[in-house]
Amino acid sequence: MNTLNFILGASLQPGDFTGFTFFIGSVSMLAATVFFLVQHGQVDKKFKDSMLVAALITGIAAVHYYYMRDQWAEGLGSPTELRYVDWILTVPLMVVEFALLTGVGMSKLFWLSVVMLVTGYFGESGVTGVLDAQIWGAISGAAYFVMAYEVGCLRVFSDTAPSGAVGDALANAKGKIPAAGKMLQWFVLVGWAIYPLGYMMGTDGWYSGAVAALPLDMDIVYNIGDAINKIGFGMAVWTAARD
Amino acid sequence: MILNKNYILTSKIIGLIFALCLIFFSAENSYSIIIFILVMLSIGIPHGSVDHIIAFINPKTRIFKNKLSFFTIYLLLIFINILIWILSPYLGLFTFLVISCYHFGETQVIGFNDTKNKFLNFVVGANILLSLFLNNIFELQIILSEFTLFSLVDLSQFDKTFFLLVSIAILMISIVQFKIKKKVPLYAEMSVLYLIFYHTDILTSFSLYFGFSHSLPMLIMEYKEMKEKNFFSFYLKTLPFTILAIVFAIILYYFNNDLLTADNLILFTFIVISSLTLPHVFIMKDFVENK
Repeated sequence: MNTLNFILGASLQPGDFTGFTFFIGSVSMLAATVFFLVQHGQVDKKFKDSMLVAALITGIAAVHYYYMRDQWAEGLGSPTELRYVDWILTVPLMVVEFALLTGVGMSKLFWLSVVMLVTGYFGESGVTGVLDAQIWGAISGAAYFVMAYEVGCLRVFSDTAPSGAVGDALANAKGKIPAAGKMLQWFVLVGWAIYPLGYMMGTDGWYSGAVAALPLDMDIVYNIGDAINKIGFGMAVWTAARD
Repeated sequence: MILNKNYILTSKIIGLIFALCLIFFSAENSYSIIIFILVMLSIGIPHGSVDHIIAFINPKTRIFKNKLSFFTIYLLLIFINILIWILSPYLGLFTFLVISCYHFGETQVIGFNDTKNKFLNFVVGANILLSLFLNNIFELQIILSEFTLFSLVDLSQFDKTFFLLVSIAILMISIVQFKIKKKVPLYAEMSVLYLIFYHTDILTSFSLYFGFSHSLPMLIMEYKEMKEKNFFSFYLKTLPFTILAIVFAIILYYFNNDLLTADNLILFTFIVISSLTLPHVFIMKDFVENK
């Protein structure tokens, strides 16, 4: 391990489970990036952009998890700023995957993700000095729910459930796209729901008492959420792209 | 390999690897000036040093009757630009930004769309420069200390993440408005650029973008258009005007403290770059048409 110390600024302490999830996060994201890049050359031309975007998502995350691990190991606390930097760059790219698979909805999904990210950041950082974290979180959450509707998340329960244009396009697509779309819808519905939980853990509001009772650490929740969503998102696209 | 048909992507990947190495080894702050000088001398200036040749390559877009008219207009534009900086630094900065936005955007969209949509070119370039500046805004305030309207604005309540968020939001909102053949890859590439801008200082950010995302692809494109025997003989042709550009910078520096900016080397360097950029933009506009 000492040979790596010229890259890694600080070493994790034994028993540091949170730090370990940062480390696992960085190496798994890096491995996923290599995998997606290798697979990029194997898939059909129409899926190449999707695979490249999947690789970029995990690649960007790998860089930031490396930084986050370092910050955590140096005892500088929860790396909220770096986490937001990572999300600001990767969430729009994840949204873009839907547009790449279906060819519709990019504009709407971009706008919604802008609202979700900007208001989420305002709430967590308090940079604006107006409104409180609950209200900013509610706006961010509303954008998330509209996005979930738009991509057809309700369709995971029933094929006749209402959906936005992207969800309809996913259901009506050919080949393996509907199956991959369903996986992505699960990710948005369940995987992305981890983030509001983390937001509530990191801010004050009516929910503070309830989330404080949960036996969870915010960083572990976020790290697991990121690993599932970013790598899983790419794997879902890869499932549709192979053959 | 570097000169195959994917040369634009190849040169950008070289830049990305270089950038990641700098980020991981945290070397950028201590070596930013060396990186800047090396990139500018080896790639940045040479990519504009064959303007006098490429201006005459495409007969359809040729606007100069002969070499004399070319050099006269070229030098005149450089002179006018310096004059603008002397008379009104604000106007000089504004001119540089507008011209650079268009020029950087025009070359950035190559491979993703044709370059006919001038407004798209401008918006893409404006996004790149905006991100470069926003992600290094505290440094920029020091560099532009003479521009008090900007440098005295109190931004202490904001952190860097806020400015990254703003630049990404503007990119998303602006890019969806355009019809672009490869919109997602263009957006994805610009996201990676933003990542580099955030994690490196302003000089390194500019060096990496200008060197590997702008100049190197253009340099290779020029080499291919000029149909030289090999890259080395092409590169030799860039040397005379590269050396002239350096001489020009040294002469300008001699008058620097009286005319342009006192003891602000980075601002002075940008004035030199803007002076060389102004005529180069007009040449490249015709060169990259339909590419």
